Amino acid sequence: MFSEQAAPMAQGLLAPPSAEPPTFPRVPVSGYSDCSQPFQLGERGFSRQYAHIYAVRLAGMRPGLERRARSCWGDGIALRKLSELQAGEKCCVVGTLFKSMQLQPSILQEISEEHNLVPQPPLPKYIQPSDELMLEDELQRIKLEGAIDVQRLVTGTILAVYGCEQDDGRFLVEDHCFADLPPPLPWNGPSSDRFVLLASGLGLGSVSGEALLSTQLLVDVVTGQLGAEGEQSCAAHITRVILAGNLLSQNTQSRDTVNKAKYLTKKTQAASVEAVKMLDEILLQLCTSVPVDVMPGEFDPTNYTLPQQPLHRCMLPLASAYATLHLVTNPYQASLDGVRFLGTSGQNISDIFKYSSMDDYLEILEWTLLAGHISPTAPDTLGCYPFYKSDPFILTECPHVYFCGNAPHFQSKLLQGKEGQRVLLVTVPDFSATQTACLVNLRDLTCQPITFSGFGVDSED
Amino acid sequence: VTYKWLSYTLGVHVNQAKQMLYDYVERKRKENSGAQLHVTYLVAGNLLQNGHVCHKVAVVREDKLEAMKSKLSTIASVHVYSVQKALLKDSSPLYNTDYDIVKTNLQQCSKFSAIRCAAAVRRTPAEARPAPSPQSQRDPAAAGTLNGHGPPAAKAPPQQHKSIMGMFAAKAAAKAQDTPKEAKAEAKEAPGVSAASSKPPTKNNIMNNFFGKAAMNKLKANSVPEQPKEEKEVVKPSVAVAEPESSPSTVAEKPGKKAESARIQQKDKKSKTKRADRSDDEEERDPENVKKKRKRIKQLQSDSSDDEDVPPSPTLEEERAPSPPPAPAPKAELEPASTEVSAGGRKRKRKRVLKSKMFIDEEEGCMGKAG
Repeated sequence: MFSEQAAPMAQGLLAPPSAEPPTFPRVPVSGYSDCSQPFQLGERGFSRQYAHIYAVRLAGMRPGLERRARSCWGDGIALRKLSELQAGEKCCVVGTLFKSMQLQPSILQEISEEHNLVPQPPLPKYIQPSDELMLEDELQRIKLEGAIDVQRLVTGTILAVYGCEQDDGRFLVEDHCFADLPPPLPWNGPSSDRFVLLASGLGLGSVSGEALLSTQLLVDVVTGQLGAEGEQSCAAHITRVILAGNLLSQNTQSRDTVNKAKYLTKKTQAASVEAVKMLDEILLQLCTSVPVDVMPGEFDPTNYTLPQQPLHRCMLPLASAYATLHLVTNPYQASLDGVRFLGTSGQNISDIFKYSSMDDYLEILEWTLLAGHISPTAPDTLGCYPFYKSDPFILTECPHVYFCGNAPHFQSKLLQGKEGQRVLLVTVPDFSATQTACLVNLRDLTCQPITFSGFGVDSED
Repeated sequence: VTYKWLSYTLGVHVNQAKQMLYDYVERKRKENSGAQLHVTYLVAGNLLQNGHVCHKVAVVREDKLEAMKSKLSTIASVHVYSVQKALLKDSSPLYNTDYDIVKTNLQQCSKFSAIRCAAAVRRTPAEARPAPSPQSQRDPAAAGTLNGHGPPAAKAPPQQHKSIMGMFAAKAAAKAQDTPKEAKAEAKEAPGVSAASSKPPTKNNIMNNFFGKAAMNKLKANSVPEQPKEEKEVVKPSVAVAEPESSPSTVAEKPGKKAESARIQQKDKKSKTKRADRSDDEEERDPENVKKKRKRIKQLQSDSSDDEDVPPSPTLEEERAPSPPPAPAPKAELEPASTEVSAGGRKRKRKRVLKSKMFIDEEEGCMGKAG
């Protein structure tokens, strides 16, 4: 999309200076509304137990699941709670899944002194053949077996199972179903080409500087300095840039200063200070030209638990002077030009990746959409705020673009739902590793990756 | 020499800089003067990769240019990226040159770009400043900034209190104030007073709170009478557009200026040279601060008296210095005042520290932002 429009004037700048070169006005922002209010926490109190979040999650998703179950297996099936189960009767139960895994890191094991165990090193995947699935509802739990893929599912998913209880107290599953895609949102997309740039994992502050030129090239393309006139006019159609997390690299996370003596660390600064200054400068360059939404990620200086609150503006003094900078939460939901975006910085997807046999980030992304919940593993293995009134991660409306950041590589897919939903699933790659960002065309929901490269000592191109 | 470096140094549009580089290379090569020039190009286009079409943007050396062009299925743009005498081993010197030049011109980074964004206006400092913690100190500080920016502040929607940062807030406030002042290139001429300013997003409101509702109402009432006065004075300098001093005045009127800056580019140069005058003005105003400061401490407790106190002081300033526009005067002077006030009891020491900081920042602003 970019290139076809630009091609005719490609060689235009290989010429002597011409008259006043054209400047292109940026396509104006129309119809932006930030819908991520559920993810913004006001007063935060951590004195509550996490059981409430499961209770509200089940209560919130139960009606939808019951409807789905009826449509799947017929209207006449019996919907029972676990306490009402009778042996041998075919019925359908709605509950929360719990997967007991041997390898799951447990805080109790870590601090247990009797065992003298060394804490378990982080593994890429924690699944094992001996994992078991259990279904819990408000009062009881029961073990599941049968036609259900233990390896694939993760704790915290709400689902409906159809089967019967056996004599030994286990539930034999014949079929199961998830909440499926939520109801669709009306489509008010723009009629002309509008692009949104999605990038994540800028990884500033890392020791190696290879990605710095690529980052600079990215900024130059977006602000219109790079490229011939055709490309610049195309870049003027980029209405927004969304930075999906991990703006600082993992190297800035070093906590050595905590262990060392005070006199050794008195004059040292945390690595993140320099990185944030660099980020501020980059954001300033971007903000003078295009609205930017900045989402925090795993290594960014904000709270650890989901939903991550926006970065504070005092950290970005230069860039936050501009009204085009928006510091937003992770997960982030917004409506741009009539197109609803929903996305996270990738912590939820990578957490599911660790505890499930699904390997493909795009597959996991699609699965979370079908399961109706952004992050089912949230209180269990991923830090989460103890919600008690409602679970904001339940998907109530189907977004048009659903993305996750910091994926290993770029993937995208257009999903069509039964009720006419069209969702573009995008896994945004980690920029510091792949130097790739994504351009989403709002008009027809297509996505194109854009790669940047410089040249090194021994690079081929 | 990269195109960006050339564009900033000569003050030309980036496309012209690229064409200039190309022209230079062509001419030098025709002359065969013997000096070896190495050129790097920027190539962008579509590339079929992993089964899907990927848009690639790459900086390549001249010898690899044709190879790269043949790899791309469609070429979107080709232009000269940089010219240098020695063969570059890798692209880090290019990056470093660009980084340095951008750093020295941070506030004007979009001036020579090919894309102008009408929405990229600076936030007014009234909205930009987060609240200091204690309630009593917040009000005089609020009064200070509001009255200093009558028109924009009156338009600012009520903001709720979110975070209590105290010290950070004061420092950030000082900084936020400084950066707008140093932003000369954003030629905020034609103070056709911020009529249509795009409004800050909701995020802004939640994060940048400033005062409690009670104080807000009082201040709003106050700022309204201040507003017509401000507007009148601001309109006066607008008549003499060539007068460089108008640039400081426009610094106070932030919203909506960026749109106009697109049209009025040449006046930037003048405003740069006159920056020295501005800082001198502020320096001479600071001794007056000392006097004002004492008054304010005494009346720290009573909100209303503070509010009344502050409007007379800008007018005093205005009478004293008719030619420099009054808008920056109350602002500049109330800034150190407000930052001091917000600090609380230990006025003197705090003020001294902050004041010197202001000077340093101002000087840096004069000589161009060092970073």
